[in-house]
Amino acid sequence: MGGRDTDIVLLDENGIRCDGRKVNETRKVTIKAGVLKNANGSAYIEFGDNKILVGVYGPRDVHPKHMSDTDTGILRCRYHMAPFSVGERKNPAPSRREVEISKVIKEALEPAVMLKEFPRTAVDVFMEVLQADGGTRCAALTGASVALADAGIPMRDLVAGCAAGKAADAVILDVNNEEDQAGQADLPIGYMPNLKKITLLQLDGVLTPEEYKQCIEIGIDGCNQVYEIQKKALQDKFFASGEKQ
Amino acid sequence: MSGEKKRHVIPGEVITSGPYRAEQNTIQVGDKIVSTIVGLSDVHDGSVRVIPLTGGYIPKDDDLVIGKIASHSSLSWTADINSCYVGMLPASDVFGRDYSSSADDMTAKLAKGDLIAARIVNADMTRDPLITISGRELGKIDSGELVKISPNKVPRLIGKRGSMIQMIESSTNSQVTIGQNGLLVVSSEDPNGLLKAIQAIELIEEQAHVANLTDQVNEMLESKSE
Amino acid sequence: MSDGLIIDQLKKNQILDLLKEGKRVDGRQFDEPRKLTIDIGVIPKAEGSARARLGDTEVVAGVKVQPERPFPDTGDKGMLICTAEILPIAHPSAETGPPQPPVVELARVTDRGIRESGMLDMKQLVLEKDKSVIGVFCDNAVTDHDGNLFDACSYASTAAINSCKIPKYEMQDDAPVKIEGEFTEPPITTLPVSVTMAKIDDYIVVDPTIEEWGIMDARITITSNSDGNVVALQKGGSDGFTQEELIKCAETSVKVGSQIREIIKQSKQSDN
Repeated sequence: MGGRDTDIVLLDENGIRCDGRKVNETRKVTIKAGVLKNANGSAYIEFGDNKILVGVYGPRDVHPKHMSDTDTGILRCRYHMAPFSVGERKNPAPSRREVEISKVIKEALEPAVMLKEFPRTAVDVFMEVLQADGGTRCAALTGASVALADAGIPMRDLVAGCAAGKAADAVILDVNNEEDQAGQADLPIGYMPNLKKITLLQLDGVLTPEEYKQCIEIGIDGCNQVYEIQKKALQDKFFASGEKQ
Repeated sequence: MSGEKKRHVIPGEVITSGPYRAEQNTIQVGDKIVSTIVGLSDVHDGSVRVIPLTGGYIPKDDDLVIGKIASHSSLSWTADINSCYVGMLPASDVFGRDYSSSADDMTAKLAKGDLIAARIVNADMTRDPLITISGRELGKIDSGELVKISPNKVPRLIGKRGSMIQMIESSTNSQVTIGQNGLLVVSSEDPNGLLKAIQAIELIEEQAHVANLTDQVNEMLESKSE
Repeated sequence: MSDGLIIDQLKKNQILDLLKEGKRVDGRQFDEPRKLTIDIGVIPKAEGSARARLGDTEVVAGVKVQPERPFPDTGDKGMLICTAEILPIAHPSAETGPPQPPVVELARVTDRGIRESGMLDMKQLVLEKDKSVIGVFCDNAVTDHDGNLFDACSYASTAAINSCKIPKYEMQDDAPVKIEGEFTEPPITTLPVSVTMAKIDDYIVVDPTIEEWGIMDARITITSNSDGNVVALQKGGSDGFTQEELIKCAETSVKVGSQIREIIKQSKQSDN
């Protein structure tokens, strides 16, 4: 976190943020499940100006074979940004940042997915960021758990993602790109709403113990809001046209 | 005791709490029973399960499946059975016990891309499931059209005691070989009948969750084709 | 990509039997492409973008425009680079990791079609000769694969570049500085459009589906420009074409290409 000098007013005197939100408000989130023809499960998520496509394949054969586990299926995740997704064109080869995010998302989903029933197989989760605007890892995680449910992968719970943070000395929910660049702290959270467990947590920036507590609190609140949208996406796909049997 | 109403559930959603057994597609969390999958909850006789609405095919012993030959070694073929595991068809299943890898030409019997009706012999998950094509209704499939549906919708396609599939077969003059893995082969002498049968199957795939499905399919079958 | 695809024998027989009767499995004419829809501006933060859906094949192209130092021998021209990748979400056979030869071919054929047509007047994309030029990068991401990625990438690229906005730059102390909020239209000279044909058992069909792709003996991709001239070619697959077939293919490409070009033009108009 730079706390970089900028002309943008991150928080005005009425407590309104640069994109018109209040401090405890998330951006607009929309999710659609089942958007790809070939994938076993898929989801398209818009989280503010973030646009992310997620495809799930599997359980399926593991290549190379030595990666497979005879006791359980394995989860593999790839977070990837399209070259045109960011301000300056991104080199198409995976960066260290993308490799790290792939890993933390995988570890955020692992507590939820149950792959014991599928020994020697892999479930592949591919997250493709088409447009990035701050908070892509939470958005990708949110979309990924909808795509996993769409694919019928057994899960203990969904995982919802939302960041909290600090900008202009205020604790805020769902940090956008400007706030990430010019703000003071970014604390992304992944959360299983029914099991009440945090499975992704990072922090970039400085928080007092009190601010840390507040960030976790409103972050969980944000995840609960995101969860309602995940639920709706699955209901719309699977239960929409026909009513109870 | 029977009869909490069937409900639409998603992973993580609490179905019920109390003294129930957690069965298929559910887990026990504290005193609650939670769904692990998108589906319909079914609570009766002290047990809770979820009937899945999505997900792949998991091989079970004795299931009839449709497979597509993918490759072969000198001892066996592998078949794509629309599952996380490939089916293993031993050469001896086709050539008999005195099969000789030098004398018998495997590709002459079954080549890449050939479709087979097979039965799962052994699906213990520690290795790829063993399949057989010797038996009634089994073997290489020489005619018809392959149709893929979600494996979860196979019971709906069959209907109560086969009522749905019989209705489709008789009114379109077609034969449908149903694999439990969601692969079907539809064949008919009459091209219009074939088309109609496939349309009926697609309708069931799309509308499997509605209550008056049989009426809808019936209506579709009776409508005049252009 | 589809090279690992096994088409079931019944489907293969069905395709071949129908071709003999002059028909295709999905009911199309031999020279009829699948339904094409193009939406532009799908990635608002990119300078240009388009989503092309050809049947069930889908490609998202995004254009980034930024100042670049020119190559030493072409200091009087802007820079144009097209790439393509098959995202692993697109098909079970798509792989992550370094691009395999079919993907490299896809990217190069896409690039060649745009570049060789002279779609952009590169001389107009110079900020200061030999020092700074405008680079136009068009990256294609295949999101769903149902055959014939060549044409889907061609249409997405042409539509994205055709609808892009070129930011204005000013040279200050030998360095380009972007003037916020000011844009110019791209210097478009022509709209290149490729048409890919598959040869299956001596029948030639336009815009093969993944099933036709899986059993074809050879293919040819012919790109034509707005004037109806041929600007780029790529033959692929393990059979050959006769001279007569190639003449016919070029005619088909120009004819079908002109229909496609109208859809690309309309995509820009309907957005305005």
